[in-house]
Amino acid sequence: MTDLSMAPSGLAGRSTFRFSTTETLKHVVLILGAIIVLMPFYVMVSYSLKSPAEIMQNTGGFFGLQEAFRDDYCIKLGNAVADCMVTPAIYNYTTAFAKAPLLRYLLNGVVITASIFFIQVLVALPCAYALAKLRFWGREAVFGLVLFCLLIPVHAIALPLYIMLAKLGLTNSYAALVVPWSISVFGIFLMRQFFMTVPDDLIDAARMDGMSEFSIIWNVMLPTAVPALLAFAIFSVVAHWNDYFWPRIVITGNRDLFTPPLGLREFKGDADGDNFGPMMATATIIVTPLIVAFLIAQRRFIEGITLSGMK
Amino acid sequence: MPRSNAHMWFVGPALILMFVILLLPIGMAGVLSLTDYSLGNAGASWVGLDNYEKIFTRSTYAKMFGATFRYVFVVVPLSVGLGLGAALLIHSTKRFGDLYKTIYFLPVMAALIAMAIVWEFALHPTIGLVNSTLEQGCGTFLESWGWFAQGCERGFPLWLTDRKYAIWVVSFIGVWQGFGFNMVLYLAGLTSVPRELYQAAEMDGAKSSWDRFRLVTWPMLGPTTVFVVTISFIRSFQVFDTVEAFYPQGGGPSKSVYVMMFAIYEKAIQQNLMGIGAAITVVFLAFVMILTIIQRWLVERKVHYT
Repeated sequence: MTDLSMAPSGLAGRSTFRFSTTETLKHVVLILGAIIVLMPFYVMVSYSLKSPAEIMQNTGGFFGLQEAFRDDYCIKLGNAVADCMVTPAIYNYTTAFAKAPLLRYLLNGVVITASIFFIQVLVALPCAYALAKLRFWGREAVFGLVLFCLLIPVHAIALPLYIMLAKLGLTNSYAALVVPWSISVFGIFLMRQFFMTVPDDLIDAARMDGMSEFSIIWNVMLPTAVPALLAFAIFSVVAHWNDYFWPRIVITGNRDLFTPPLGLREFKGDADGDNFGPMMATATIIVTPLIVAFLIAQRRFIEGITLSGMK
Repeated sequence: MPRSNAHMWFVGPALILMFVILLLPIGMAGVLSLTDYSLGNAGASWVGLDNYEKIFTRSTYAKMFGATFRYVFVVVPLSVGLGLGAALLIHSTKRFGDLYKTIYFLPVMAALIAMAIVWEFALHPTIGLVNSTLEQGCGTFLESWGWFAQGCERGFPLWLTDRKYAIWVVSFIGVWQGFGFNMVLYLAGLTSVPRELYQAAEMDGAKSSWDRFRLVTWPMLGPTTVFVVTISFIRSFQVFDTVEAFYPQGGGPSKSVYVMMFAIYEKAIQQNLMGIGAAITVVFLAFVMILTIIQRWLVERKVHYT
């Protein structure tokens, strides 16, 4: 009896483990691809751990030997040689924070990305609600306009936006980094599509209870929209944390306003041989937050990023 | 609440911002492109279509279009093709599919400016990983390949500073960065292909996997492909980060990587030639909008929303 019941599952098990040429070939191709994809990440992390000599001579494997080396800059400051021996990995990461106000850049990045997202939601959510659930004169026209504006890549109109901001004296300010992104037509479109699926009864019931239209948005619609909102958050945060073009244009010189990508670029501008390690450490620090968040919540991230494809 | 005007408060701010931030600048670009305006000057004079004439006659701009189209027409087919290929392979393997998916998606998440700087290192002629890896192939069978033997003899290319290679290397980085995005979209498309269709196709005599792909998968992925191709076009037209990181001045060896977004940045922001910058902006917008309109037309012909 037991034998009989075991037999089919045993067979099935063998067939899944069976060696198959096509299957192996697929994995060979996929692994080769993975190596090429991962190569720069390997270089980045590895160099951020190595000493300048190891980087120059391409030795030391992935982690480097972590042998202490002499920090010439420290000696120039008049310290004894013994005090100036540093471990590469620690040296690279501390220099990344010490040489440039990296912490400030990271904070700027967080503040700007968060402000952009909150303003986008504040503007887009009521508009999306009105387009989905309120009947008013001109609604179709407004929605048509939203569809048209979806065609416009904001980066492409950077030049006139820059002139406007310059005329208002707003370049080199947080406002310059945030204001152009305050309207997300994609956010409006997305939330409108989502609100269309919310049953009218829910809203009618809320109105019966005497809720104002305003509190309906924030107390009834917002909670139902959390999944769509989360996806939009990921879409927005990834785009603006990584954005380089726009900050490059409106922030000139004032280091206090630098976002992480700008900070890294500045670092590269004055990097000489000894600074490759710290520079790679900076790159690692800037890239890590999103990568870690992505690894933790993969499914949500992929949904969020590809959302635009599911119209 | 039929007489409520709550909607004005809801739609108003969005509407105003749309006009000020998205529509007004397009108009401004259009007007400025007909002038020789620059910031700080009191006035500007009307130059008619001079700026456009420059764009379509001068060799600098010929190089600009050349670089942009080379980049776009390498990156779009390759990133779409590799995205589809990776999706098909991952979809059909039994194991580790999620792992590959995660790895291939990593470049999409990473800040491109950071990765550009890393690539510059990897491609460095003397200390870079790429050339030192290639050198290890010297003396092996690879030397029978003429290009490789030449590399062993006279040194491998200076990838980013050689006019012959620069644009292709930058394009390669574009593909590296973008194909994971397309792969994810295709994977989403593949999971929505109904299984019965494959069985039906098999009954109708589609024996080989190529037949199944040609008759079922590819047509069913049509809408995904239209979307993926359009978004790849728009994204690659906007390439800037890598070019600026590699060539902060001038757009690469002999301007061979002088792409449009960089040209706008250089002319308008660095050199304060707003008129010509605005004209490039208008041409750029025209390209992007035509592409998106073609996409919408294709989608609406095939798919009907209810």
